Amino acid sequence: MYKTKKRGIVGVVITIIIIVLLVIFTNSNVNQLTYLQDICNVFVMPIQNGFTYLKNKISGNDAFFADMDTLKAENEELKQKNSELEQSLRELEIIKAENETLKEYVNLKDKYADYNAIPADVINRDISNYSSTIVINVGSEDGIKTDMTVIADSGLVGHIISVTNHTAKVQTIVDTASAVTAKMSTTDDSIVVQGTLESKSTLRATFIPTDAVVLEGDSIETSGIGGIYPKGIHIGTIREVINTSNITDRYALVDTAVDFNKLNTVLVITNSVSE
Amino acid sequence: MKKAGSILLLVLAFLIIYFLQANFFTWFTIAGVKPNLFVIYLLFIGLFAGKKLGLILGVLFGVYLDIVIGRQIGISGIMLGIIGLLGEYLDKNFSKESRITIMLMIAGSTVIYEVGCYIFNIIALGTSVEILAFIKILLIEVIYNILIAIVIYSLIQRLGHALEEVFKTKNILTRYF
Repeated sequence: MYKTKKRGIVGVVITIIIIVLLVIFTNSNVNQLTYLQDICNVFVMPIQNGFTYLKNKISGNDAFFADMDTLKAENEELKQKNSELEQSLRELEIIKAENETLKEYVNLKDKYADYNAIPADVINRDISNYSSTIVINVGSEDGIKTDMTVIADSGLVGHIISVTNHTAKVQTIVDTASAVTAKMSTTDDSIVVQGTLESKSTLRATFIPTDAVVLEGDSIETSGIGGIYPKGIHIGTIREVINTSNITDRYALVDTAVDFNKLNTVLVITNSVSE
Repeated sequence: MKKAGSILLLVLAFLIIYFLQANFFTWFTIAGVKPNLFVIYLLFIGLFAGKKLGLILGVLFGVYLDIVIGRQIGISGIMLGIIGLLGEYLDKNFSKESRITIMLMIAGSTVIYEVGCYIFNIIALGTSVEILAFIKILLIEVIYNILIAIVIYSLIQRLGHALEEVFKTKNILTRYF
């Protein structure tokens, strides 16, 4: 009896240690563990350096290979220059389109000034892994109604789905049941962004028009269609375009502007588009 | 009287578990995945206090969760009720005196609960189906729940037998004859 009890406690302690280690390692960024890398490098890197030096000594004598090396380097350099030029061309295109839309923004800014916003704190996060709703500490007594838009300083958060006297429930745009009509800022093509299960900071942009040009790094904002969200609120930027065999099925992954893991304060826009 | 007191304690424990789930476990996650303490709790009630209490408390707690934080009222209510009901049937067929069976029961009911909720959500809210991402999250969640089950196993046993004495005293003698 004594033995099994003792073994049970040891098992529990080991399990707790495993949980804590799992939590630490799965949530921390590998790049942040530089001190650990330094320690690990101490054992192998000096010897590796020596080996590389020896290898260079032996192979570097041959003039033919040296020639090859310079040609290769030159080729590499030209390739890089080419891609840089392409990159700057694309940037210019984006800037050109941006210039046009900026004129629109000037009008929008005046419109933004008309919005009344109520600040609120996030008091409850979702308890489930498969949905993403939050509760904020303002309610109907503060003038909050359902379908009002919620934003944070960096972009769109979501909309109110239910209200009590002192709290309101917000469905965030990263919730899997959420779909927001949006547009790409450079090309003005309309798309729909939906929440995904895979990540709390990624949206999936679907219904991309077949003739639309999707640029990685392009910013996404609300289009104002649908009646809930006002026009021109920043949602995020396109990270990656995923092409499928059928062009109508292609979609893009969008990084949200708001960090939903660190979301603490939000603003509720109290006058909607129609008012 | 003893029963009423026990039920009150069960409700209090539910609130404590709610605060744990909504605060501590929102950042103490494995790869961003939270465990599901409510499934463990309802299975515990079902196993030791019987299906009647398991079903009633499961539905009540589930509906409460739906009202407080859910998107659609009733989904958690139905699924937690089913888990509470399931507890008694598991108790009749398996031994709850073993760590392994408790772990397997918790793993199984977590899968049933989450798959059920996911299907209901797809039907009710029209969420897009992402099978692979769902399975990945579910697996981590099941592992997390099993690890928690190992840690709190002795607590489950001790509190469970106390609960069983209050709710199942008549059955406990007849069961073995």
